[in-house]
Amino acid sequence: MKHLRSFFSRVAGMFTGHRADDDLRDEMQAHLDMETAEFVRRGMSPDEARRQAVLASGGLTQAAEAVRAQRGLPWLESIAADIKYAFRSLRHAPIFTTVVVLTLALGIGANTAIFSVVRAVVLKPLPHRDGERLVYLRHSMDAPGGENILFSVPEVQDVRDGAKSFEGIAEYSPLSFTLRGENDAVRIRAGLVTGNFFEVMGLSPMLGRVTETTDDGPGVQPVTVLTHDFWLRRFNGDSAIVGSQLRLDNKSVTVIGVMEPAPYFPDRVDLFANMVNSEHHLSASMVQGRTHRMTEMVARLTPGATVAQARSDVGAVHARITREFKQAYDPGSHFRVSVIPFRQALGARAQLTLWLLMGAAAFVLIIAAANVANLTLMRGVRREPEMVARAALGAGAGRLRRLLLAENLLLTTLGGVLGVAIAVGGAGLLVSLVDRYSARANEIRLDGVALTFTLLMSMTLAVLLSLIASLPKEGAFAAMISAGGRRISGGVRRQRLQRSLVVAQVAVSVVLLAGAGLLTRTMMQLSNVETGLRSEEILSMDVPLLDISNIFDPGADAGAKDRYERMLREIRAIPGVADVGLGSPTPLRRSTVLFEVKAEGKALAVGEAMPRAELRTANPEFFGAAGIPIVKGRPFALTDQATSGLVVIINQTLADRYFPNEDPVGKRLAWTGDVLRFTPISDAWRTVVGVTANTQDGGLDTQSRPVMFTPFTQMLAMGGGLVIRAERNAAALTPAVTKVVRGIAPTALIENVRTVAQIKDESVAPRRINAALVSSFGLLAVIIAAVGIAGVLAFSVSARTTEIGIRMSLGADRRRVEHMILKEGGVLLVAGLTLGVVGAVLAARVIRGLLFGVEPSDPLTLLSVAAIMAAIGILACWIPARRAARIDPAITMRA
Amino acid sequence: MAEKLEVKQGTLALMILKTIDVLGPLHGYGIARRIEETSKNRLSLNYGTLYPALLKLEQEGFIKADWRQSENNRRAKYYALTPSGRKQLAREAREWNQTADLIAAFLAPRKEAT
Repeated sequence: MKHLRSFFSRVAGMFTGHRADDDLRDEMQAHLDMETAEFVRRGMSPDEARRQAVLASGGLTQAAEAVRAQRGLPWLESIAADIKYAFRSLRHAPIFTTVVVLTLALGIGANTAIFSVVRAVVLKPLPHRDGERLVYLRHSMDAPGGENILFSVPEVQDVRDGAKSFEGIAEYSPLSFTLRGENDAVRIRAGLVTGNFFEVMGLSPMLGRVTETTDDGPGVQPVTVLTHDFWLRRFNGDSAIVGSQLRLDNKSVTVIGVMEPAPYFPDRVDLFANMVNSEHHLSASMVQGRTHRMTEMVARLTPGATVAQARSDVGAVHARITREFKQAYDPGSHFRVSVIPFRQALGARAQLTLWLLMGAAAFVLIIAAANVANLTLMRGVRREPEMVARAALGAGAGRLRRLLLAENLLLTTLGGVLGVAIAVGGAGLLVSLVDRYSARANEIRLDGVALTFTLLMSMTLAVLLSLIASLPKEGAFAAMISAGGRRISGGVRRQRLQRSLVVAQVAVSVVLLAGAGLLTRTMMQLSNVETGLRSEEILSMDVPLLDISNIFDPGADAGAKDRYERMLREIRAIPGVADVGLGSPTPLRRSTVLFEVKAEGKALAVGEAMPRAELRTANPEFFGAAGIPIVKGRPFALTDQATSGLVVIINQTLADRYFPNEDPVGKRLAWTGDVLRFTPISDAWRTVVGVTANTQDGGLDTQSRPVMFTPFTQMLAMGGGLVIRAERNAAALTPAVTKVVRGIAPTALIENVRTVAQIKDESVAPRRINAALVSSFGLLAVIIAAVGIAGVLAFSVSARTTEIGIRMSLGADRRRVEHMILKEGGVLLVAGLTLGVVGAVLAARVIRGLLFGVEPSDPLTLLSVAAIMAAIGILACWIPARRAARIDPAITMRA
Repeated sequence: MAEKLEVKQGTLALMILKTIDVLGPLHGYGIARRIEETSKNRLSLNYGTLYPALLKLEQEGFIKADWRQSENNRRAKYYALTPSGRKQLAREAREWNQTADLIAAFLAPRKEAT
């Protein structure tokens, strides 16, 4: 109580200094007067009395000082004084302050933003219980689309029986449903899971319950667990949803719970459902078909088991089944199963891009910090007389360091605050970028941890900056006075440090610029890739009329095909439509349906991989409407009907594979493989009637896969993509086309409405963001480095003013002086460039995976980057060199 | 003149409080004079000791100050005890007496035989 009261009184005392000082002076004066009067009363002379009274007081100034110390809080006051002083001294150096704060803000901002991403995607703990025991199993083979071919239920069962290092294995099969609401229908993505899925994943319900093993098998209630996001988005987080019914593909499904927020895995889905929701998933073909691969596998290691043990277990199982079921594992295709730690599987795709950005941001911070260090060092030298004077007046080394620390803290804090503002803007951009790679983008936020990171970064910088500044040594004041107040520091050590920093800045800038150059060229190369379509004014959309429940029903199939015909007729009549076709998938989209293909009379050598081709459908107008060139033969014709001879059109890639030196037209191909047993697709021979050019279906940076088109009339009505070529402005046709579709199929889904230009743009966008980010970092680095070079040289010039004056008075002309300074900068520049180019070649190798159409050591990029950096560097050297040349020897000698 | 003693830390506050308690509201000079006289001039109080101590007591709320006319028509700052100051004085005096007794007992020559 006493202390608290005293503390507040003292805090208040800090702000009442002047009034209290007057008061104290009056009080002490009164004391002095009374004492004097007393001495006079005792018989002293007035003068003597006053003298004695002053003597007895023990010193008025000291007393006032002692009272002042008692009045406020001295330690707080001296910090306040330091900060006040720091403000004042920075206000007197506005250019220095602005440059430093901006530099730091950019460096800190970039790092804060990237850190928030790295934290969300890589560092943040996962909600999964004992997540380090989770693994993802991936089945791959050497073939187009073979990176992840999923597992069949018998394969899952084999692993379950054979691999003892797993405590549990859950199945997950992606499927889409149509969710019908009161007045809308939306396509939703679902994961059909075995009951143990949530137990294996270690995830809990937020509401209700999750699935259990009692939800497995036929004859149980169809149930669903909503993901947290979908629950919020579709049902506004209404907890009454638990226990209600949803209509999925015209079936009623009970919502049993809502899952806790968690990253999407293995896919982005809206809800999870038990297997009974899809008849197909309980059918014999699915449960017994070894090649019927529609299932993902996640597994939980038994406590104590390692990933290495799991790998060897799974490897043994895989080796056994490939021996046992030879027809299911074509040896030429190298089937294999990898066991991947869950965390790695989650972030795998994001990591290279993240490293790139993290590296670039760190480089920017290094350059920024180097620059600030240089500016601080230079300012430190200019302030040397001030520091020496302070030291001479009794400021200890600690006090001086504190003064510098206060200044640097102020600078880095200002930089940090501005940096956070930059990071807020940058993080938004990054979320959209990371969203493409990582399931955890929704967790990115600038929270307390990210801000703490920023704060620590700022404080560390401030402390480092305060430590590199050197303080006056003992006796420096005398030396300074004897030197006539001139700069007395030899400064060689410091100059060396400054020069190294400049070299590092140039080198790092070159690395960043080279990265920016390579990524920009990647983007340009990618934009120049031909899609394979002749026109960009093409609108495409998917209008699936059937789903998995009725696609095999001949009646429904015929009805759907009839409705598509009506849509085509009506769309053709819309003004502005040049051509309209029908096919699935729409152009520039990959088909997910791939089967092995055999050619008549072309036996494959033993060990040669079976070619696999995408199954696509097209009507006669499809190729014309999409602008896909037929390079040989003919497009489909109206005469290619369900009852006529089976025909196909293949793309150039498949033609090259089977008929490298022949005309494929008239040859016969057939779908083949064990998996056909589970489909209504026949393995009958089909005659090639045409060959199309390749199109970039998987994105502009991918290889074309073999494709076999079948006439829409000779295949199931899968998908149902409308392809509309416009006379001009394809996007403008969207409302009219949608109206026609709605008129014929009021409740059908309309999906993936895109123009070719949009599809192309989506393919380039991630590279464009990469290039833009790294380019802006690079630009930043170059500007900062240029300021650094110019600053260090300018400082060197001002330090050598006298020397230059002497040289000039001894006959050196302006050109010579200019050369001298240019050479000083040139050495630094050349050293930096050399280091930078070496660094760039090494760094580019690391980001090879992000490049397209350009080699990591692309000489053109490296040369132009070096040239740009050299030009900017020379310009930065030239300004101080000019200044040196303008030095008037007469004035400098006199000074 | 006898040897002057430094005022012991902590004892000055007690002396000031007691002085004001005995003499009523008093200015700094009066307090200093009274303490010096009471100590038979063995203590001397310079301003640098007295005024910070007064300020500290004021901050702690034990005394309060106001400007008044002195007996010989001079303006001076008078310090008066507050109720909590009065309590503090009683408490400190009690503690001091106990301490003094204790110390005296320790320092007294032993009475019992060895």
